[in-house]
Order: sequence, then structure tokens, then C-alpha cells
Amino acid sequence: MGLTGWWTAELYLESVTTRGAGNGFTGWRLENRFRPLRDEHRVTPVLYVEYESINEASRIQKEIVGSGPLPFERIAELTEEHAHELEVKLILSSALGAWNVSENFIVERNLTESEGFEFGYSVGVAHHLGALARGTACRLCPETFVVGVEAYGGLGSTEGFARREQRHYVAPVVSWRVSDRSTLKASVGFGLTSSSDHALVRVGYAYELPVRRHR
Amino acid sequence: MRVTPMIAAALLVGSIVLRAQPTRGARDQNTRWMAPAAESAKVNPLTNRSDMAAGGKKLFQQRCAMCHAEDASGTTDAPDLTRSTVQRQSDGQLFWKITSGNTRTGMPTFSFLPPLQRWQLVLYIRSQSDNRTTTSAVDQLTRRVRYAPQSAPSRQTSD
Repeated sequence: MGLTGWWTAELYLESVTTRGAGNGFTGWRLENRFRPLRDEHRVTPVLYVEYESINEASRIQKEIVGSGPLPFERIAELTEEHAHELEVKLILSSALGAWNVSENFIVERNLTESEGFEFGYSVGVAHHLGALARGTACRLCPETFVVGVEAYGGLGSTEGFARREQRHYVAPVVSWRVSDRSTLKASVGFGLTSSSDHALVRVGYAYELPVRRHR
Repeated sequence: MRVTPMIAAALLVGSIVLRAQPTRGARDQNTRWMAPAAESAKVNPLTNRSDMAAGGKKLFQQRCAMCHAEDASGTTDAPDLTRSTVQRQSDGQLFWKITSGNTRTGMPTFSFLPPLQRWQLVLYIRSQSDNRTTTSAVDQLTRRVRYAPQSAPSRQTSD
């Protein structure tokens, strides 16, 4: 939701379903993006601040920070361990012709436990398949697809930067504009280190609510 | 920790307060939002491709009509793009504004679109101005004929 021209906020509710280990509500998160500069520049910065009130059963890995694998006990046990986390990201993005490039540097702090500051990163490049828009409606034409590659991972924390426990991924990404207001995005991340999962699948569907006021 | 729910509450309250702030005044008084000279001088590579305006129209419906209305005549959220103050601006100026956005007025950035698609949007905005002019000229002509004084003989009756 665009609150002002320079501030957008999003609220997420999370839950988890597993095969055999249980289900549960895992919490909520509030994301805020602040764009400090009025115009677009060669490199445009965006400050991202996220507050999370989640429990240890959360499986959504929107970003990777710190080090070590996720805990895999029963969901009922994990939901009792609450965490309040504050995450800050510096997002730098550039448009180079038909290419879009972005780099994120992430710092996360668990406010419930003293785990120090955890660090992560994400870099990506994306390209529209169709340079021009057709005059007719089409759903499967090149202009509705964006393809790209992302690399993301955790760098450790102020408690330690053990390289062996770091998780790093590289992922091809495809985004499809399903309709005028909705987009489907999917990626498969391939783990690059022994601590990384072999594959990390991310699927997202976004729908833009039409809010229109006429004179 | 009690401080964490306080942070969340502060963010939520802050969002509500900022949502209530008017932005229209800032938008209408936005005369200093101008492209650098080099950007303003850019020429639309699709200028002679009027067939490309149809694609621009589709993009406009998808990306811009929500705020600027389907015929670009503006809404309470965004200005009328057919008016002369907008149409007098160079293609490069419009392209830069579409690309750059303006956080002060709530105009989003469209730099994620390929450059040619942004030029298609410029082409469509121009075509809307032309359509409007043509339509109003036709309307005026029709009105003149329809409401012509009864005493004035038409060419057909005199012939």
C-alpha cells in the first residue's frame, strides 16, 4: 500500500503446513520501504525497515541472514518460541537500458534474544523479454515475462562469521504478468554451500487492488 | 520485550497519519519538477511509428489509468495529461518523468519498464491530445451546423 509517494507499507500474515510435522500460524510482519530521493538516479537507494513478530516455525525465507540451517522440530513445539525481529535493508537499484539491477545489504536484529546483528545480501538482474508492447491484449506474449538471475545468502553475524555455516544460493527467476493487476513470480534457488538447502523454491502471487477516484 | 510492540504500533499509527496528509496541493504546485536539459532533449525513437501508440494505450490502461483516468483526463489523484501545460513539454521531458517518478507527488517510477515501452507511453499521451483536439473541432463543427439560424439558407436549399 502506498502511504505517501516515498513510503509504502505491506502487512503479511504467515502460516506453515508440513507433511507429518504439523501446521500452525507463525506470525506477522510489517514491511516499510522509504525512498529518500525525489527522482530516479543512476543508483537509486531505498531504505527498507521490517518488523517481524514470528515464531521459530516460520518457514518463509524471503531473505537469508546469519548462518546455520533452519530448525526442523515439530511445528507445535516451534510455535511456542516467539521472536520479535527488526530488519533493515539498504536496497540499491539501477536501470541500465532494458536491464534492471538491484543490490540489497541486509542487517537483522532479534530483539528477543541476544544473537547480535545478523547480515545477509541479495543481488539480482532482470530483463523484460519483450521490448515493445503489442497493441492487442495478450497473456503469453514476451512483453508479459521478465526473466533474471538472483544470488542471495547469509554472511553470519557479529557473533561469528563461520564461512562453513554460511548459506548461499543462486536462482533463476521468472515473473509473469498474468493480468493487468496480477503478477506471478517463481524462482528455484540452488544451494552453493554444504549448509545450504539443495533447492529453495519461492513462489509469489501479487494482486494490485484497484483504487480509483474520479473528479 | 515491551519495546517491540511499541515499534510496530508507532509504525502503524505513523502510516495512518501520513495517509491522511493531502498531496494534491503539492502536485499542482509542482513547477520545479523538470528534467535535466540532456534528458529533455531526447527524441522519441517511435515518433514516426503511430502504430506503436496502440501498445502505448494498452500500457497506459495497465499502469497509469488508475490515477490519470483511461482517457488521461486526470482524477483527484493525478493531473490531466491532455492539458496544454503537459502537452507543451518535450517528449524527453515526459519520458524522464515517466522513468523517474516523483516521491513528493506520489508519481511512481516506471524505470523497470523497457525504454521503448516508456516511449510508447509518451506516444499515447501525445495521441490523446490530438484525439481530444480533433474531437472538439468536430464537435464544434457539428454544433455550428445543428444550431445554424433558420433564416440562413443552406447551400442545399438554395441550390
